[in-house]
Amino acid sequence: MFSKDAIKLYVLGLSLLVLTAFVFFRENTTDWRDYQAEFRDLVTEKFGAERAEQIPTGVQQIWVKDLDRVDRCVTCHQAVEWKGLETAPNPYRTHPKGILEKHPLTAYGCTSCHGGQGFSTTLPDAHGNVEHWEEPVLGQEVSEAYLIKNSKALMEMNCNACHRYDRETKGMDYINTAKNLVEEKDCRACHTINGRGGIIGPDLTFEGEKPTEQFDYGRLTGRHAVFAWQVAHFQNPKMVSPDSIMPNFGFSSQDAQALALLVMSWRKEQIPAHYISGVQLRDVPTPEEIAREKEMLEGDGAFFVQNKCFVCHSVSSLGVNSAAKIGPDLSDAVVDVQNRFGRTLDDFLMEPTGTMSVVLATQIPLTTEQRHQAIALLKVAYQRKLEQQIKSASPSPTPTGK
Amino acid sequence: MATEEIGETKASSSLLTAMREKLALKPMWEKLTWTWKPETKREAGDAIVRNFLLHWFPAKVSLESLSWGYSFWLGTISAVLFLILTITGGILMFLYVPSVERAYLSVKDLEFSTSYGWFLRGLHRISAHLMVAVVFLHMVRVFLTGAFKNGRKAVGQNRPLNWIVGVALLLITLLLSFTGYLLPWDQLAYWAITVGTNIASSAPVFGDPTRFILLGGTTIEQATLIRFYVLHCFLLPLATFGLVSYHMWRVRKDGGLACTEKRYEEAKKQEQPAIASKTYSLLGITGGSAVDVQNVMIDDEKDKVPSSPYMTVRLAVVTLATLFISILLTLLVRAPLEEAANPAVTPNPAKAPWYFLWLQELVTITTFTVGGITINGALIGGIILPGVLVAAAVLWPYFDKSPVSSIGKWLPKERKWQNRIFLFIVAAILILTFIGTYMRGHSGRSICRGRNGNRRRENSDRARRAIRDV
Ligand code: HEM
Repeated sequence: MFSKDAIKLYVLGLSLLVLTAFVFFRENTTDWRDYQAEFRDLVTEKFGAERAEQIPTGVQQIWVKDLDRVDRCVTCHQAVEWKGLETAPNPYRTHPKGILEKHPLTAYGCTSCHGGQGFSTTLPDAHGNVEHWEEPVLGQEVSEAYLIKNSKALMEMNCNACHRYDRETKGMDYINTAKNLVEEKDCRACHTINGRGGIIGPDLTFEGEKPTEQFDYGRLTGRHAVFAWQVAHFQNPKMVSPDSIMPNFGFSSQDAQALALLVMSWRKEQIPAHYISGVQLRDVPTPEEIAREKEMLEGDGAFFVQNKCFVCHSVSSLGVNSAAKIGPDLSDAVVDVQNRFGRTLDDFLMEPTGTMSVVLATQIPLTTEQRHQAIALLKVAYQRKLEQQIKSASPSPTPTGK
Repeated sequence: MATEEIGETKASSSLLTAMREKLALKPMWEKLTWTWKPETKREAGDAIVRNFLLHWFPAKVSLESLSWGYSFWLGTISAVLFLILTITGGILMFLYVPSVERAYLSVKDLEFSTSYGWFLRGLHRISAHLMVAVVFLHMVRVFLTGAFKNGRKAVGQNRPLNWIVGVALLLITLLLSFTGYLLPWDQLAYWAITVGTNIASSAPVFGDPTRFILLGGTTIEQATLIRFYVLHCFLLPLATFGLVSYHMWRVRKDGGLACTEKRYEEAKKQEQPAIASKTYSLLGITGGSAVDVQNVMIDDEKDKVPSSPYMTVRLAVVTLATLFISILLTLLVRAPLEEAANPAVTPNPAKAPWYFLWLQELVTITTFTVGGITINGALIGGIILPGVLVAAAVLWPYFDKSPVSSIGKWLPKERKWQNRIFLFIVAAILILTFIGTYMRGHSGRSICRGRNGNRRRENSDRARRAIRDV
């Protein structure tokens, strides 16, 4: 019994060793290693061994924390940022340059525009034409399947995640066309989009979120996918949805495709505000504030508004009103300066002391000429103030400092 | 003075040597290893009793207990699987993040970028499925050999209790697997747990509170994930470890495996009555007398072999074989990972984990409408029936009246009806599981495979969105 068991033990031990070798083999023979080796050969051939030495090995990734994306595409697409491989075959081709300048890899990664499965390090999984991955790479293959003439058009759907509030975006021809159509045909007459529009049809703000399960493909000939449904629906709403009261606009197939891309781009993507084109990340002045500033710019005190003196000072006699009023009203600066500093206004503005020395040296650097202009204007302001006081028949016209 | 000092040192060093010899202190390494080829009986005994790893085994075991055909070593295989799960799970804990934002991504990372991550995850997953199956088979074997019964009237023997510990272990094994099922946070996980916990909520009165406590709320969210995580990685393994230890201790306290009862029966038949020999009590600490004291005189040495090497080698064979099969399956079966969990998209069909599919089927079967009154299947099929089954399992040993001579034997005549009933229940569970796994397509209607494409196609309906084909 013992020796039989011992033999079993040895056999099992050996089999396990073989199995472990298989595990090791599978871990270490992934196709990305082949691609990296091939790329090194290509670089050696074109640029010499020294350049090839510098190519990093192992899984490479771009981690964009803001977008919560990890894209390992660059494990195989190693030439993305290289010069001189513009015509090399993929995956060794340089990425077209222009678009990368505005959308650097480190800030956008790959999949936020191209689609695909960024985590993956195997080709079929990465390109996403696999079960359980809903966003394949938007390129030739999918375009051909959906009869879209321009293989880059599908990607515009992803561009529009950040550019959704643009009226027009350079290079996004399909989406631009679709946005024009939305205005031209006045879709908002019936539909609400981004908080604006009618209520006859459904709200389309997040139309792109609707899962495939919620579409009825029963009357659709051809492919059963959201895109196909949307295109068919735009071309003839009643055909796919007989109860629909949406009019048939007679869109061409290209226009229908453009509109399908647009509505499918309207998703609840979680994108930080600073990525979204057209969203202002600053306090916008209220219309009243803007109107008041404009009015002040047209009056005699325009100089003080233009040069931002009015941030702290009012010059009330010239119609300049500071919201903050941090400094004194400059209407009577002529006498006030004399009272406070024992110097004339001319003298003070040429060689200021205290706070004003800092402000004029750093924030509001006035030229000598501008200073003379300011002095002249302030004298006018004082004159104006005296006149106003007399006009309002004040019993005590005597000018006094504060 | 100087000579005295020398003398003292000498004396103390010889005292040390003497002490060491007396205590026979072995270096650590020798406490963890042992010889396969003992030259003497003493060496064979020492390999067990003076070895840290093996001391809890008896020095000698009977050949029947070691045979493949009696126990199929299914309990041992369960323990080995638990060990594999503990080790792989421990490593996975360094790599998995139990948060709804990161859980799915960290599993993707395991699959694609962590070194050997796919292997760790695959091995853990396969071993978990195997453990559920093997523990179930172990229970089947224990029942069919009547190993839940007490034999000779020996003090401290309580096999029914060990059977109940076993039932608890089966339930905990299921819970371990169920809690682990949620962790990848994909559609498969999310909806399986939805279906599973919805069954729990159909219990009257305490159903909803139970579900609430289990989920940490009314929906499966972060609170659920962290609960399941702590249960899965800490509390349930701890409970399993404790219960398995007790289970093992009980096997020894019960006088070894039930198959050894035969020798006492045979001895009794052959000749002398039991000798009321001396009664030992452990300094009055324990009540009653020690095991084997009031005993028939049998040749204890007959058919017994030293545990080392006979048992240890077989243990090693079982361990390696279990490891081999688990790794082989890991290489052959890819661990699934579906889309990230999405409460808004219900897959059709939404299915519980496979080992609960017989329950899901029971729920479907017991839901029917008679004269406008709908019978709530979740209550009958999901709560009452399984509750009755567990209660029956716990109580069974106490109602079994089959003779002692039928203990430790496969399918004896005396227990024909018991075994028939038991096998009928087992078959029903297996058939329902099969139906639930392979024959349920859309809307819970059973589908006809092969017509208009197979099940794979139906499954992929739910998976694809947007631009993908359906
Ligand atoms: C985590 C789960 C379990 C582990 C690790 C485990 C382990 C073991 C082991 C190693 C043995 C020694 C004999 C053998 O290998 O078959 C054993 C025996 C036994 N097990 Fe388990 N077991 C588990 C679950 C169960 C379950 C679910 C039951 C029954 C409901 C059960 C009831 C018993 C009984 C009664 C014995 C004594 C068998 C005899 O005397 O022949 N165990 N168990």
